Amino acid sequence: MNTRNSHRARAIVLHTLDYGESDRIATFYTREFGKLKGIAKGARRSRRRFANSLEPFSFTQVLFSRRGGGDSLAMVDQCEIIDHFPMIRSDLEKSVAASYLVELTGAFTVEGKRNEAVFQLLVDFLSLMENGPFRTGLLSFFEIRLLGLAGYEPILDRCSRCHVPLDAGRTFHFSNSRGGLQCSRCVSVPEAAPALSLGTIRSLLHGKALPARNLSRLLLSPRADDESRRLLVSFIRHILGRELKSWQVLRQLRQLDAINVDTC
Amino acid sequence: MSRYAPPIERLITELARFPGIGEKTAARLANFILHESVEDARRLAASIMEVKERIRLCRQCFNLAEGELCAVCADPARDRGTVCVVQDPDALIAIETTGEFRGTYHVLHGVLAPLDGVGPDDLRLRELLARVDAHAVREVIVATNPDVQGEATALLINKLLAGRTVAISRIAMGVPMGGDLKYTDRMTLGKALEFRRGM
Ligand SMILES: [Zn+2]
Ligand SMILES: [Zn+2]
Repeated sequence: MNTRNSHRARAIVLHTLDYGESDRIATFYTREFGKLKGIAKGARRSRRRFANSLEPFSFTQVLFSRRGGGDSLAMVDQCEIIDHFPMIRSDLEKSVAASYLVELTGAFTVEGKRNEAVFQLLVDFLSLMENGPFRTGLLSFFEIRLLGLAGYEPILDRCSRCHVPLDAGRTFHFSNSRGGLQCSRCVSVPEAAPALSLGTIRSLLHGKALPARNLSRLLLSPRADDESRRLLVSFIRHILGRELKSWQVLRQLRQLDAINVDTC
Repeated sequence: MSRYAPPIERLITELARFPGIGEKTAARLANFILHESVEDARRLAASIMEVKERIRLCRQCFNLAEGELCAVCADPARDRGTVCVVQDPDALIAIETTGEFRGTYHVLHGVLAPLDGVGPDDLRLRELLARVDAHAVREVIVATNPDVQGEATALLINKLLAGRTVAISRIAMGVPMGGDLKYTDRMTLGKALEFRRGM
């Protein structure tokens, strides 16, 4: 059967790969279809059909078709820019951080499963970076929200074993294997993870709940920033079983003093 | 079960490793080679080996070279005070074709590509800094592609060179955002170099 269905979708470009002489394979996160992989024939030459829109973290409107059976690689017929995020592109730190956000999204989603909240999360955070100063806290807030949407919401409002609340006067440690906090009484062996300050935990809960447009006003203390990064980077590495490529690049840039993001 | 005799299968497998070459194209190329004269086939094999044995990277700019220095660096008429940074030898050739540029080059052999795990350590950046420090370089022109990765690379070079007494400029006019120097026509590229802007 060779019937092809045409679709239109709003999408953030997650990844691109040059293919052959002039084609490009692109992975999108679309509002309407979730993660989608497609091939754009002649993308590197045709200004008319693609207008250089197939670039990491570009916000686009994409026209694609695929066979009724739902074969994995879609045919991208046209792609138009909705937002190139020029302020992100002209700032090294923002540009690499935006790459990290799209790589993380790709790592926590599967093709063909629609989740409009994930799409909105990406759009919201790219817009925050485009329109405001870059803060490391944005990475933490993005991560904690994405973890929740992907079904890995860390338990941060109580002990994940005995359920005592944060105000029980105990100290709390984060356990990767439990995916949540453990209070000082439940931590059986002295865990590698150091105790978290209550301020850090509350900031993360706050950063998860606040409407995205208000996040640029939420400032983390240096300690909360540092502890959040350590907790989330380690938890994400634990879930994925690997470190993201863009995170390694962020760390190299940090070692060169080219950016200020704390890469732990 | 193999469709071809094993030697042909092996050739198809080898050819199919090339970028953009699929199984079908590889089979077509293998068939072409099969029907060529022995001399033609031998010349092809010899030129592959010649490239591997004789071409190396220029010790000054990392362009492809037949000796210690590439043709540009070996030319006494080229201005060593102006260094144009490009991402690969293809981009260098594209600029050379314009005939507009009389300086020398520095080939990075890649661009910052966080999503593919290509970081500063994978590019010839240390060598660029060493070159700027050791020689009388007056101007560095960053001619990476105007796409996300090329822009990020340009920003990084700008940051790394800040504080040194060297002018830094970026090619600008006419090259569309997201574009590729390889596919930019000569006139546009020539103008882009001429009207470069400070960074
Ligand atoms: Zn407990
Ligand atoms: Zn050279």
